Amino acid sequence: MRIDLLQGTLDMLILKALTGGSLHGYAVASWLQRTTDDALRVEEGSLYPALHRMTRRGWVTADWGVSENNRRAKFYTLTAEGRRQLQEESSSWERLTEAVAKVLHARPAAQGA
Amino acid sequence: MPWIKDRYHALRMLVRRGQLEADVAEELEFHLAMRTDEYIAQGLSPEAAREKALERFGSVRTYQEQTRGIDAGMARQRRRTELWDVVARETRQALRSLSRTPAFTLMAVLTLALGLGATTALYSVVDAVMLRPLPYAEPEQLVLLDSPVPGFAANAPWDLSEAGFFLFTRQAQGFASLGALDARNGSLATETGALRVDVAWVSAGLMEVLRARPALGRLITPDLDAPSAPRSAVLGHDFWVRQYGADPRVLGTTIRLDDVPTEIIGVMAKGFQLPDAATVDVWAPLRLDPSRPPENSHWVRTLGRLKDGVTVAQAQAELATLTTRLPELFPDAYTESFMRETGFRTRVTPLARHVVGDADRVLWVLLGSVGLVLLIACANVANLFLVRSDARRREVAVRSALGAGRWDLAWHSLTESLLVCLLAGALGLLLAHGALRLLVALEPSGLPRLREVGLDGHGIVFAGGLAALVGIVLGLFPQLWTGSDLARLRESGRGLTSSRRSNLVRGGMVVAQVGLAVILLAAAGLMLRSYWTLHRVAPGLEARNALTFDIVLPRTRYTNYDEVNRFHREFLSRIEALPGVTSASLSTLLPLRNFEQCAAVAAEGMPVDLGQLPCIASPVVGPGYFKALGIPLIQGRELTWDDLDQHADGVLVTKTLAERLWPGQDALGKGIRGNGSEPPYYRVIGVTDDLRAHGLDKPPSEAVFFPLAPAEGLPLWGPRRSVSVVVRTGTSSPEPLIPEVRRILAELDTAVPLANAQAMERVVARSPSVARASLTLLLLGIAGGMALLLSVVGLYGVISYIVGQRRGELGIRMALGARAAQVAGLVVFQSLRFTALGIVLGLLGAVSLGEVLSALLFEVSATDPLVLTGVCGVLVILAVLASYGPARRAARVDPAEALRSE
Repeated sequence: MRIDLLQGTLDMLILKALTGGSLHGYAVASWLQRTTDDALRVEEGSLYPALHRMTRRGWVTADWGVSENNRRAKFYTLTAEGRRQLQEESSSWERLTEAVAKVLHARPAAQGA
Repeated sequence: MPWIKDRYHALRMLVRRGQLEADVAEELEFHLAMRTDEYIAQGLSPEAAREKALERFGSVRTYQEQTRGIDAGMARQRRRTELWDVVARETRQALRSLSRTPAFTLMAVLTLALGLGATTALYSVVDAVMLRPLPYAEPEQLVLLDSPVPGFAANAPWDLSEAGFFLFTRQAQGFASLGALDARNGSLATETGALRVDVAWVSAGLMEVLRARPALGRLITPDLDAPSAPRSAVLGHDFWVRQYGADPRVLGTTIRLDDVPTEIIGVMAKGFQLPDAATVDVWAPLRLDPSRPPENSHWVRTLGRLKDGVTVAQAQAELATLTTRLPELFPDAYTESFMRETGFRTRVTPLARHVVGDADRVLWVLLGSVGLVLLIACANVANLFLVRSDARRREVAVRSALGAGRWDLAWHSLTESLLVCLLAGALGLLLAHGALRLLVALEPSGLPRLREVGLDGHGIVFAGGLAALVGIVLGLFPQLWTGSDLARLRESGRGLTSSRRSNLVRGGMVVAQVGLAVILLAAAGLMLRSYWTLHRVAPGLEARNALTFDIVLPRTRYTNYDEVNRFHREFLSRIEALPGVTSASLSTLLPLRNFEQCAAVAAEGMPVDLGQLPCIASPVVGPGYFKALGIPLIQGRELTWDDLDQHADGVLVTKTLAERLWPGQDALGKGIRGNGSEPPYYRVIGVTDDLRAHGLDKPPSEAVFFPLAPAEGLPLWGPRRSVSVVVRTGTSSPEPLIPEVRRILAELDTAVPLANAQAMERVVARSPSVARASLTLLLLGIAGGMALLLSVVGLYGVISYIVGQRRGELGIRMALGARAAQVAGLVVFQSLRFTALGIVLGLLGAVSLGEVLSALLFEVSATDPLVLTGVCGVLVILAVLASYGPARRAARVDPAEALRSE
């Protein structure tokens, strides 16, 4: 089963992918796929608007370089601001999942109680 | 070298813009290629692998477009910030470099601020008076109706008659509405005595014409405007605030207006006024009676609103047709011969044009003059910039050598000049604001819509735009003649002397400045002569030591001649008893202020068609009037209280009228009368000397002076309740009498208001021809003075500069035996050469522009040799003075030192 991604969550995942160092878009896609065991349903193309948007916001920087197989590729690097953004987003994501989990595990409310 | 970096950066940004799409495509292609490779490695055929990679990717086109959009936005944003950075940096740099030369900066800013301020102030006046539409809804539909009577008075058209007004109101199809108006002083009873108020008596139609809106209550409607309707009034907003503290409870209360109980039914919207911007305290229904027998009496000021789509010409044509029917419809009032002899017709004038009147010519001339002042100021500042750029030649040369192009240098000087101009513009706005406040406070008469004048958005935009324009011109100006970079470097190597070309420009600008100053000074000089000529015109009365004021007796308690005249006599005798007063009298019309009322006057024994009689000013005067106003009699005597008591039939006429009616004969004893040609007649008992009661620029007036009460059997137009009093003092200034006079008036009757108290000299000064001449003279004088100052400063600056440059040459001359005086003479000669050339060009300009000015002049030719010679003389003297300092410096040049530094 594949899970549809919530709006904005993709940004967080990409930022996370970049914490290990500069990556090109393909590497980000492959890392996401590997890490999630292909559980997330993401059109790979949608990474690119997200990457460019984050470049514009100053969360990542983009530079042309040479890939491992000697092709020209655009590498994205996390900035300090991007790192802060990732921290913020992941902590709020954790608060959200925690809260959702609590609800899911709670006993249902009885009528009139 | 930041300016070099900027340029490359800008270039890179341009390239990158085209690169944007390629970059996005390449990035996506890299992704697809990598994925395809992976699938091929898993054993798929290249085609299948490519297809699978594409499927996994999603819509290439969508993502490409989205990505590209984001990148384009990013590029735009970056360009903006970079541009802003450049602007900020250049501004900082310009500020630094300007603050290093504070004297230059101060001089340039002040000079331009003067020019910009003056131009902005005048523009604001032109805008408020002429360009801005009248403050009414759809003002272009508003017109004024009047009746020119060229056969009688060329430049004094009549208002409409009641009969004409009703005829047009009923029958003219081209008008949405017509409104009648009669603005007069009235008196309002208050707890502290009678208050003089400005009352606009208006028909209900006028409210529709002007689209008036009430602030409170309601306005004048047709039912309230009916002759039998109870009295009602609408308060003007300002008056309501001032007199009633903006209390809304005044609605429905009753005031005594001209001693008649009147109900307040509303308050007019704030700021609503009559087209001529006259103050209106109270709006009251005019209550014209359509059933009154028609009269040939033209006093109904009529405004109209054209129907949608109707042109002024169409309305005019329609009224022309109706006007020709007047004799047929009202044979008692309009005879065919009257229509023929007077050339009587009805005219439709756009209200805006009527309001502006002949002020437009004055204003355009003045705006043109301050424009010239601005040009002179610009020339001065351009010279300052030149001197400065010469002083920085080495810096500029070094920069050029290091690769700064002309555009970089232009950009630098542009930033500096823009900065100077914006500072000057801001200062100029302050100056303009002050000048406009001053102008409005001075209340020059002869300037319509004055109360609307002030610095507003239009003025600020104008000043900003003008400052920017001047800044750009001044900034790019030095670039126009600087040679190539190499030439500049070569020159700078040769001891920093300035090029021939830039000296030529400098000299040319001084010549232009002098020329412009000649034009302005000539204009100011001509105006001054006009003004003097006008002042030398003898009005025919003695304005010094005379006080005038108006009183209005309430109609209710002063109903007949006896009651009115008893009051006048008592009032005047008490005033005459005041210490310092030599005489006091009164009349219905005051010369040079409101000498407008006239009557058809017939002379005994002259068979005339009544309709043909010219309308002659016919003031009613009290005994002792000519003595009080200082009008000399050349024959006979004036009226006395005894004459009045006996209902004697004596009248006085002016010399001009006597000579026309009875040429070569003795006027005394001749018969004359108004409103009819049948006996009995009044008898002339005195003739006054020439009296210019209609304006100092007009020919002497024809007038008949009638007594306060009619002689036996002769009709006269009712007892005169509204009169202007004249009080003559022996030697002292008359104004201190005002409180005394008020006290006497209050003792006699607290319901009688006193208004317009002023010295007769002020009445003369405020009469239209004098007021217009003095306003024009004042403003042209200011412009001329500024032009003179600026051009002398410019001349001084340039001569100083040239002396500084010629130090070496002068040193050689002195070393070769020239005497100090000869060297000084050389400098003065150079200054005079510039001046002479400027004067010649200026005179040519002044003569060719004379046509524009001549309409404003009074009995002075636009090429008056005295004025033009005087202006030239002044400029030559100032040119010598301006070169005096530099010449002394030149004479003190130490040859040895000058040669050493060469």
